[in-house]
Amino acid sequence: MATLEFNGKTFEIDEDGFLLDYNMYNEEWVEYVKGQEGIDEMTDEHWQLVKVLQDYYEKNGIAPMVRVLSKLTKFKLKHIYELFPSGPGKGACKMAGLPKPTGCV
Amino acid sequence: MAFISTGYNPAKPMENRITDIGPKDYHDFYPPVIANNKGKWSHHEILEPGVLVHVGDSGDEVYTVRVGGCRLMSTSHINEICDIADKHCDGYVRFTTRNNIEFMVDSKDKVEPLKNDLASRKFAGGSNKFPIGGTGAGVTNIVHTQGWIHCHTPATDASGTVKATMDTLFDDFQQMRLPAQLRVSMACCLNMCGAVHCSDIAILGYHRKPPMLDHEYLDKVCEIPLAVAACPTAAIKPSKQTLANGTEVKSVEVKNERCMYCGNCYTMCPSMPLADTEGDGIVLMAGGKVSNRISDPKFSKVVVAFLPNEMPRWPSMTDAIKKIVNAYSNGANKYERLGDWAERIGWEKFFSACELDFTHHLIDDFRQQAYMSWRQTTNFKF
Repeated sequence: MATLEFNGKTFEIDEDGFLLDYNMYNEEWVEYVKGQEGIDEMTDEHWQLVKVLQDYYEKNGIAPMVRVLSKLTKFKLKHIYELFPSGPGKGACKMAGLPKPTGCV
Repeated sequence: MAFISTGYNPAKPMENRITDIGPKDYHDFYPPVIANNKGKWSHHEILEPGVLVHVGDSGDEVYTVRVGGCRLMSTSHINEICDIADKHCDGYVRFTTRNNIEFMVDSKDKVEPLKNDLASRKFAGGSNKFPIGGTGAGVTNIVHTQGWIHCHTPATDASGTVKATMDTLFDDFQQMRLPAQLRVSMACCLNMCGAVHCSDIAILGYHRKPPMLDHEYLDKVCEIPLAVAACPTAAIKPSKQTLANGTEVKSVEVKNERCMYCGNCYTMCPSMPLADTEGDGIVLMAGGKVSNRISDPKFSKVVVAFLPNEMPRWPSMTDAIKKIVNAYSNGANKYERLGDWAERIGWEKFFSACELDFTHHLIDDFRQQAYMSWRQTTNFKF
């Protein structure tokens, strides 16, 4: 657990760089993760993916399965990887402020 | 040490990135005698414990010397393996599916020098670096997991228990006196990574206390529905909890009398840890196999409900294993695997032959299939 200062905002993060509390999410967080995840510019498609993840999490309390994410965004998995090189879990969920994926990952 | 770049540019992570090339083709690493005779083997023979010869249709022979490996190895140990392979086997070596190491040579006169070299190598503490054995009707290497070396859900250690067990069974690694091969496996929690569910003897890490709940962080770091769905006995339900400072948070509630301490919820949710020094220990299982030889493959069955973690040598565990192996080697017929033997004599006789206690924990009570494991016949022995 560490505290991160970025553009005047403070975030509590874990050792993998995931936000410790979804409620701490704000747009500065996106700016920070962007640099970590090798994303040059946030396109509409990036935002669409982040919003879908956040809506789903707020509604259901879990991150969507990859197939659900593909269906909701109409992005194929390949395209999700083009947007977020680390993938939907480590890249997109981290940026959306969702909890770190668990299980045998 | 100061940072030394490999050439990777963190500013442009996708530049010059190579992906999806897969593993190297195994054909690249065949010793010439294997490459020449591939698919054209005539027969094989076990010359002595740890030494095999395969004869090709062409008359070519390949001699294999199998040695035990500790699986968790340093690069200096790998380097030493490579040195031996360079010296005796033209640089070729392979690892088996039970993590033994096999050195192959193409003529009989190369076998003795290789064996002598392997047998002479020892660690400073005195243990063999490359003990020869693991073939035929004996005990070969123990398939095991991470334990306290690296995993976050274990109930016991892997490398430690395996070393203690292999020391106890070492004679049987170097000889072939058992009725059939005896596979021992180890898993440090009941995720059962590896082969414990289908081994002649299996060592399994086990918890005996329900998870602790960190209500303050649970909703923040966990996806609550996943924790609820992770429970095989539905002991977990979502709940609202009030923290000491008065704030109400979403969390879960565990019905302790429904919990059987599997730890699945901790796998899904970091706020539900359950490891416990006194509570955790070992379950022994027996009688599983994967081959189709004579009888169908079998699952191993729980035969010892709990043995404490006794670091660093686990004496009660190695005693119990020794008792099972002795009873099996004295009682079983030739070619009979441990499970075949136990089923032939009846499990009630297995427990008396192995001098193991039968407790109520061993009676299956998980869902409908449990019924099928009870005895629905008058056929039994007093």
